[in-house]
Amino acid sequence: MARLEIEGLCKGWDFPVIDRMDLTVEEGEFFVVVGPSGIGKTTLLRLIAGLEVPNEGRIVLGGKDITRLPPYKRPVAMTFESYALYPHLSVFENIASPLRARRLPRAEVQQRVMDVARLLKIDQLVARRPAEISGGQKQRTALGRTLVAEPEAFLLDEPISHLDAKIRHELRAQFHTLEALRRVSNIYVTHDYAEALSLGDRIGVAGPGGLVQIGTAHEVFERPETLFVAEHMGQPSINVLDCELTSENGVLFARHLESSLALPVAQPHVERLNGGNVGRVSYGIRPQYVSVMEDGENLRGEQHVVDGTVTLFEPLGTYAILIAEAGGATITALSSPEHRYEHGESVRLVVDTAQAFFFDRDSGKNLVL
Amino acid sequence: MARVVLDNINKIYRSRRGNVHAVKDFSLSVEDGEFVSLLGPSGCGKSSTLRMIVGLESVTSGEIRFNDAVVNDLEPQHRNVAMAFETYALYPNFTIEENLGFPLEVRGVSKQDRKKEVRRIAGLLQIEDVLDQKPGALSGGQQQRVSLGRALIREPAAFILDEVMSHLDAHLKFQMMIELRRIHQSLGRTMVFVTHDQMEALALSDRVAVMHEGRLQQFGSRDDLYHAPNNVFVAGFIGEPPTNFFAVQPEEADGRLTLVSDDGATRFQPSDHRAATIRNRGGNSFVVGIRPQNLTRVADGLENSIAATVLLNEYSGERSILTLTSGDARLQAVTASGDDVGRGQEVDLFYDPDDVLVFDAETEDLLV
Amino acid sequence: MSERNYRLVAILMFVFLGLWALISLFPYYFQFITGFKGIEEVNRITPTFWPDEFMWSNLDLIFSDETNVAALLDTLLIASANTALAVFLGSLAGYALARFPRQAGGENMAFWILSNRMFPPVAILLPMFRAFDTVFGSTDNHISLIILYLVFNMPLATWLMMVFFRDAPRELEEAAYLDGYSPLRAFFKITLPQVVPGMMSVALLCWIFAWNEYLFANMLVGSNVAVNTIQTPGFVQGAQKLWNLAALFSLIAVIPPVVLFLVLRRYMVRGLSLGVVKG
Repeated sequence: MARLEIEGLCKGWDFPVIDRMDLTVEEGEFFVVVGPSGIGKTTLLRLIAGLEVPNEGRIVLGGKDITRLPPYKRPVAMTFESYALYPHLSVFENIASPLRARRLPRAEVQQRVMDVARLLKIDQLVARRPAEISGGQKQRTALGRTLVAEPEAFLLDEPISHLDAKIRHELRAQFHTLEALRRVSNIYVTHDYAEALSLGDRIGVAGPGGLVQIGTAHEVFERPETLFVAEHMGQPSINVLDCELTSENGVLFARHLESSLALPVAQPHVERLNGGNVGRVSYGIRPQYVSVMEDGENLRGEQHVVDGTVTLFEPLGTYAILIAEAGGATITALSSPEHRYEHGESVRLVVDTAQAFFFDRDSGKNLVL
Repeated sequence: MARVVLDNINKIYRSRRGNVHAVKDFSLSVEDGEFVSLLGPSGCGKSSTLRMIVGLESVTSGEIRFNDAVVNDLEPQHRNVAMAFETYALYPNFTIEENLGFPLEVRGVSKQDRKKEVRRIAGLLQIEDVLDQKPGALSGGQQQRVSLGRALIREPAAFILDEVMSHLDAHLKFQMMIELRRIHQSLGRTMVFVTHDQMEALALSDRVAVMHEGRLQQFGSRDDLYHAPNNVFVAGFIGEPPTNFFAVQPEEADGRLTLVSDDGATRFQPSDHRAATIRNRGGNSFVVGIRPQNLTRVADGLENSIAATVLLNEYSGERSILTLTSGDARLQAVTASGDDVGRGQEVDLFYDPDDVLVFDAETEDLLV
Repeated sequence: MSERNYRLVAILMFVFLGLWALISLFPYYFQFITGFKGIEEVNRITPTFWPDEFMWSNLDLIFSDETNVAALLDTLLIASANTALAVFLGSLAGYALARFPRQAGGENMAFWILSNRMFPPVAILLPMFRAFDTVFGSTDNHISLIILYLVFNMPLATWLMMVFFRDAPRELEEAAYLDGYSPLRAFFKITLPQVVPGMMSVALLCWIFAWNEYLFANMLVGSNVAVNTIQTPGFVQGAQKLWNLAALFSLIAVIPPVVLFLVLRRYMVRGLSLGVVKG
């Protein structure tokens, strides 16, 4: 039984960082907190670990209230963003540290450390010092130190953010398959939304004051409750245009306030927007739903074409970003890196208006959920 | 404005515990106005190279030339290069305006001209509203821009940018990348950017120099690196998720050459001209590399495929990444985000023979 | 700078440094040869720069006198005990000031501790004399000097250890708590090893101060307990001015600090290289 319950948690210094947060992470669940840096993600982990004292609220782990316990008496293990490896100890002793703290017999320590080291493929390195191993190996050592402890909750702070793409993907797959993580509750903190979506059984999007949306990967990406959530998921960021909803010849349009761009509102949205009687909105469309129209391409369903000129075309490894100006508005689209577009080239952009979001201008709430 | 040429550069660090050959026979030519990235994992020698260009490190052998003038023995302050650092290196007790104006002040530019220049750069970087604040009050992204601005304000021959984005959140990094690209387009200056992040390098530069273990592995555009990686290292380092590799042997049947993985489970059909190269060359062991993006679940006119079992389906928003097994090998493929294929399912992954990269197993070089 | 100029500057630099080294080392040389001269040769009006004959028997003269050996041993005991106490207490106090500044009195407290080194030492002589005399019945004992030197070494040790602890990453300690170490165990297992190099320099500074101190030793001790700084002038205060023995004795007194430095230096360097993590 290792369910983690957080009730009415408050923590702040000059201003509240976490404001009345409630959260339950089930046994075996992998819960990912994603959000920009400085928003209080690490603070949440530190509160659970006991490195910070909450101003208010309760933390219950495995049915036991641990709010007032000092960190060394809590059954939790945590990795630090900086790894926090002990520089004067070998990789072996670093991993063994939690077992030494409990004064386990020598043979058992040896056995368990080497089991973990083999699992993480660092068993060849156990005699080295942290200064003598690579970033990815440091990361595995830090992970090993937490895994060996067999705690009731794992707290992982940006464990793979600073590594090369190759190792990152390798370790990501490892998080999916590590049995040890499936027996306890896990909270994983990251600023990388793709990592969060890929790893999380559920995802909490950290915003001002706490978690602004909690849901599965599909829910937080495809059905963001607020503009904040939509803006922090996806790369490049969602296009946001300040628009006014106006009806022209019986068709509802979202008309951009700063340019002549106007996009029709897709049928299912019209109803939810109360026929357009909401006035001004923030119109959001993800770059993946804006593409360059190719010759002979037929439009489907709610797709709408706007003319534009390319201001920037950037082929990345696997996709390209195209930034175009359409009727005075700047729109970012995702396109194939294989086709080159020149600065100033005219393009026809296909906007899949059925995928648009409409956010309230004041509260940022998604109006078409 | 300058062309920067590195001619057969070597850097050897000598110490009592032995010599470290950090940069080996490195040659590179950055054209005037070009944006070039030095890309490689940590310890590949890119930072040493950069420090030699700036003059913070001596050159063991070889020549560094700016516009045909050898600068090997010039002190950093006489090389007319500007550098922005990974750690911002802003003066904490100066305001942003003073920080930006500092390089001009050192050069004795009048107060009035300084003010004008600072405004212009601040406008370019969109930091006009924080000019009277101290660095401590700024966000990481803003500090990074100030640091960039301080390099930009000098109008040097070349800009050197050292890992300037590694401290930024993914979200902010993306904006900065696009902004930096714009700045480069509008200034048209020579820029050399050092990074370990392949996406930054590909996004920003005209050409990328990939380094590994002190040697230049390949110098080329995104298309070169992506479609014709010189060797296994470049193929594995460029692209996310990383390229899949299989150890294979050629097999001849009905006049067609097939590459079969060592465990016999996976078969690849190379393009005709690559098949011809393999035949000409002879030999029994090769490495096949194929990018996860080039393995697709939708046939869409493709005839060749491999069978694999899904191990993991990772949703990541715009797309999903499949981790699969084929025989003893593990591989990854990119699929549409709506694809809900799950663990244990058997799938066919289609590919274009042109996308099958073949490397020599021993030298790890690409067969052309 | 051109290659030629560079070489010229390098040569000038070596010449200058060489001269400097000669000037600095000459007193030691002169002390050394004086220590092994016969008393007649020492008292000659024209000094000699090489002894007529090396009087190795001078060593016997020094070590056959029990008070000389006792002085060296007493000084060793006082300096070592004082250093151990100063470093141990200074580490605890420095840690408290570094990690719990508010509870420990903050910057003001830290500064106040350091300020103890700012008044003239003589100012505390009388009160301390009275205090020891009252408590121990006499001041002529080891413990008086050990405590008295703490007055000077503790502030230094506390302040420096505070700085070192501040630089030691707090996260390592937190990681240790999460591994299950109590604060006290985490301090000894994780935090203290991070500051060992600093601690060694502090120990060296404290030890050398105590080893070389003269003023207080001269006032407080003398008959029961002797220290080398009092013992040395003794050779030239009698009817016969034994300059050669004075030189030899102080030469012997230089050896322990040099040995200590060589031993501790290994730890200092090792500690420094631990800090290299980048790359």
